[in-house]
Amino acid sequence: MSEALFQQALRDSVDEVLEKMFFVEALGESPDSASAEGEPPAAVAVELTFDGDPPGSLTLWVTSAAARPIAADFLGCDEEAVSDRQMEEVVCELANMICGSLLSRVESATTFHLAAPRIVPPAASRATGRDTSFCAVDLSNGTLTVAVTTGTPTCPEPAQSAS
Amino acid sequence: MAYRVLIVDDSPAMRTFVRRVIELSGFELSDCFEASDGWQALDVLRAEWVDAILTDINMPGMDGQEFLRRLAEDELLRSIPAIVISTDATAHRIASMVSLGARGYVTKPFLPETLRTELERTLGVPCV
Repeated sequence: MSEALFQQALRDSVDEVLEKMFFVEALGESPDSASAEGEPPAAVAVELTFDGDPPGSLTLWVTSAAARPIAADFLGCDEEAVSDRQMEEVVCELANMICGSLLSRVESATTFHLAAPRIVPPAASRATGRDTSFCAVDLSNGTLTVAVTTGTPTCPEPAQSAS
Repeated sequence: MAYRVLIVDDSPAMRTFVRRVIELSGFELSDCFEASDGWQALDVLRAEWVDAILTDINMPGMDGQEFLRRLAEDELLRSIPAIVISTDATAHRIASMVSLGARGYVTKPFLPETLRTELERTLGVPCV
């Protein structure tokens, strides 16, 4: 799959998950604050790895100002009633759904497996690299950034041709 | 008629969301039980009869695949329709879960009406 198609699949996955499961509309693309130089904004960050073809990892950052209202919408309660733990659980679920949606689009012919998402320090989780795709979108209260890094494909050896 | 549903997912947030979506969708829910994995779900089913089960696949402890196997082996529990809710929308995963006994499959993300439609279809609720 080309870089452009992968990027579009990532953006489509982010938009669909936010809209259907979190009742949130992405307002447009945002400068990639998570990988920018300097101090990143306060955020909740989640990382999860996946096995598949290719394997890789997804890291998601939601600025703190956006994470709580997203969690409140998901859980159907007031922002004040959302605990920090619930907020982290919801952001983990958001990362899980975006990753699953993305892999279903780009790895439809293979079986993939998602590891459990885990909360990571935002500053330590800045993903960079040649094989990293980013999607950063503005929300009404902040920014959501997703970085997906893919590794070496684990394709089986081609079968010997009978000659 | 109102129905009794068991939601099996290791994420408390996801269980809360699914329950809320069922209610928002207009599906007639009388009781809703929750379990965090297949083991806990089997414990619930030993104590409570339910009309339908909604289960995740990836869970620590007993995962959704093993849970479906256990349901299929049980003469009483195999009659309860189980619907898988998963982020994995690949055809082979869906086929695999159906072969284990799943009567329905809903991929995340989903709309409330999708979940309602799948619940009503598996329960044989007549369309109005």
